[in-house]
Amino acid sequence: MVKSETLGHIDEQAAQRREYLTLSFSPSSGPLRSRWRNNGLSADFLGDYVKTFLPANEDGSEKWRAEILHAVTYVANEFLENAMKYHDGDIDVPIGIRLELTADRIIVHASNGINAEQAQRYKSFIEYLNIHDAAELLIRQLEESSANPDAKFSCLGLVTMVSDYGVKLGWRFDVSANNPRITTVTTSAVLPFTNDSGEIA
Amino acid sequence: MKNICGESFEVVLGENNTVQFKGALRLSGTDDYGPILGMLKSALEDEGKPVVVDVRELDFLNSSGITMLSRFVIEARNRSDVNLYFFASEAVPWQARSLRNLQRLMPALQIHLT
Repeated sequence: MVKSETLGHIDEQAAQRREYLTLSFSPSSGPLRSRWRNNGLSADFLGDYVKTFLPANEDGSEKWRAEILHAVTYVANEFLENAMKYHDGDIDVPIGIRLELTADRIIVHASNGINAEQAQRYKSFIEYLNIHDAAELLIRQLEESSANPDAKFSCLGLVTMVSDYGVKLGWRFDVSANNPRITTVTTSAVLPFTNDSGEIA
Repeated sequence: MKNICGESFEVVLGENNTVQFKGALRLSGTDDYGPILGMLKSALEDEGKPVVVDVRELDFLNSSGITMLSRFVIEARNRSDVNLYFFASEAVPWQARSLRNLQRLMPALQIHLT
């Protein structure tokens, strides 16, 4: 039996939804640099896909749609970059991204395989993110990144999602039943939107 | 005039210490952004002259790119004699959202949003 742990904001109804769009990538298909180009293509595709389903309004509609399109593209691009960067190449789990659209929100999930040490480090970061103000944390991380350009594990993209886009993040860690050192981590972003104010909520 | 080109972007260092960005920037990290950061920093060498970063035609910037811009802004902040301007566009969603963070890093930074 798979051992699961959830952290942060989890959409419990996600598993029941029948309509979603999923892209799946085999991590071994070519070097990272070649796959990097596909991150942008995939993220742009997901943004365009969502835009098609957004209702048109009388006033400010185009600006609102452009904001939503951009937010989805930004989140999808950062999720894919992180999944490609941090995926453990020795773990035979596909890298996936999934998009769901409901009446009042958009949910983006990304998953990849990590080892036990990575899982522990990621959980520590999540705990740190959850107890700090994201806007303050972002400024602190940018200062630290400037002082230490070689620091590798920043997850700055996740901090910008919360700070600049009002995204609610959640995480699910599924430990393999066959090998406790293998975990599939799924990171989820909920982007609430309203078409009344013309802004992302 | 110097320029750095990629498949989806162009960065040009023009006259009067103006650095103009176009396209979509999604490079993979510190090393890949190094040449662009170097170009930005070279615009700071002309002491006493204003430095302009024009991102109005930069449609997309990933978080590694935001980190690169923040490093440049912190470098400018740490030199007391730099007048730094960003030209930005309200029509490009990331700019209103992310450039305010640069202003928090350098309160003297002037952002012209058009």
